[in-house]
Amino acid sequence: MPRIAVVNRAAFLARPEHRALRVVALLALVVVWEIVARLGWVPVLFLPSPLGVLAEAGEMLRSGELLGHLAASLSRLLLGWALGAALGIVVGVAVGFFAMAEAVGTPVIAATFPIPKIALLPLLILWLGLGEPSKVAVIALGVFFPMAINTFTGVRQADPLLVRAAVAFGARRWSIIRKVVLPSALPMVFAGLRLGAGTALLLLVAAEMIAVESGIGFLVLHAGNLMQTTKLMVGIVVLSLLGVASHWGLARLERAAVPWRTG
Amino acid sequence: MTRRIALVLLATLLLSPGAAALDRPRVGVLKLTSSSPLFVGVEKGLFKEFGVEPELVYFQAAAPIATALAAGQLDVAATGLTAATYNIVLGGEKLWIVADKGREWPDHRLTAIVVGKELYDAGLRSVAGLRGKRVAVTQLGSTFHYQLGNILEKEGMSLKDVTLVPLQAMPAALEALKGRQVDAVVLPQPFPGRAEADGFGRIIAWAGDLFPWQIATVFYSKRFAADRARAVNFMKGYVKSSRHYYDAVLAGARGGAYDEVVAITARYTGAPVPVITLGFPYQDRNGRLWVDDIGRQMAWWQRHGFIKSTIPLRDIVDTSFVEAAVKAIGE
Repeated sequence: MPRIAVVNRAAFLARPEHRALRVVALLALVVVWEIVARLGWVPVLFLPSPLGVLAEAGEMLRSGELLGHLAASLSRLLLGWALGAALGIVVGVAVGFFAMAEAVGTPVIAATFPIPKIALLPLLILWLGLGEPSKVAVIALGVFFPMAINTFTGVRQADPLLVRAAVAFGARRWSIIRKVVLPSALPMVFAGLRLGAGTALLLLVAAEMIAVESGIGFLVLHAGNLMQTTKLMVGIVVLSLLGVASHWGLARLERAAVPWRTG
Repeated sequence: MTRRIALVLLATLLLSPGAAALDRPRVGVLKLTSSSPLFVGVEKGLFKEFGVEPELVYFQAAAPIATALAAGQLDVAATGLTAATYNIVLGGEKLWIVADKGREWPDHRLTAIVVGKELYDAGLRSVAGLRGKRVAVTQLGSTFHYQLGNILEKEGMSLKDVTLVPLQAMPAALEALKGRQVDAVVLPQPFPGRAEADGFGRIIAWAGDLFPWQIATVFYSKRFAADRARAVNFMKGYVKSSRHYYDAVLAGARGGAYDEVVAITARYTGAPVPVITLGFPYQDRNGRLWVDDIGRQMAWWQRHGFIKSTIPLRDIVDTSFVEAAVKAIGE
């Protein structure tokens, strides 16, 4: 029997993960950075070395300074994000389901969504004062819009075939909403949560640059004002870690909540 | 015809006295009254006598000037002494504090503590009354932060007895007082004057009366300081400017020279004349530094955790330029 050699001519389209390469690339960047700093090509004042940043971070951890800032930021972040997300989901579901809510909500959201939320910060300070409420409010606003829009889209994208199948099996209205429409909207809701987390981080830093004495945004600005560039870099690294952590956490949550999506 | 014009132009360029020989160091300044000696020196040609024509570069705050100096984008800086200045040197970059550019001094109006009008009317008229109040400054680590801390300590209190509100910009601090979001602000002229004129604020104290200190100085970049001839020539012009400023506005008599300095300062800062005449900051007639005070400043910042260690004075202060300049042009 003649054998036919099978060549997968689409092999180049397969995308192996290269896990090791990912780690190596990140490490190489840090090593190059350290070498540049060590050789004195760039003054340490302008680009602190990674080891220096690590040492500074250790010292700030020991003194409790870093944890204090982190706690302040996290409480603002979580409160604002949870508030914005909850409101966004409620509004998104309402606008997705009810024609009257859609008639009212769509133009209002379309008109207010494009406003950069940072531009609203001075106004929020005027309304809510210099304290915590204005900070939480600006984060909540930033999270609200992607949440509302994504939830609305998700609700609308529920597969009509599935809905009809459910109707054919005798499901009631509430049952259809709970068992078909909302679950099929979940992937979009999670995409919104992730978008919102990015926006929240951005707005957190902006909000913490006005009239506060704690938080990672304050740390970055304050260290910059004082020309303590190593401390500044610690703040930036922490922000990056916060971003990575929120992304990872939400991905885990999504896998748990939408098991049929991630194979 | 055009060729002849070109030739004439070329000849005038080549023959114009000293045009090519003038040294043009880049000098970072703020548009504040305290920069007046430099404005006067440039305007009246006091630097030109020594072959120097400073190129003024304007900034919005003191800390960026120090950064630009350390990065080599400026040769000279004339601005406030902040914690950032010391951290730059601690971070391994060199810069030199070389001359006086303004002090908080009794009877000279520079920085004031201003409180909201309702609080003033309700009896808040002294520093002791600031206890428990919200006080706005531009930044932590700024000159305003430093003097508020020291003034409170003189009154037997400390920064822990007030809530510091850093608002980044001077106009923002003034607006916060106006909107009653803070109870008091620490700001330099002309902001206190404006708060009183608009009626929402009342000045309870001028910082110089409570706590005299070397608030602003002239700085040299490492490279400029190493170029001895250039550095001394600039200083000769600066000492002359400083003397002119001192004699015209600080020595007391009000005459033509006073009006001239007021007019020049008003033009360079863009502030109206009545605001300028409210007061000029004190500085040494020869631009000599109050060296001991610099050590005191570093000790205070270190005690409050804004710098990690103090710097030996000989590594950051160099008075030799002023002394050489004074020697060359006579006391």
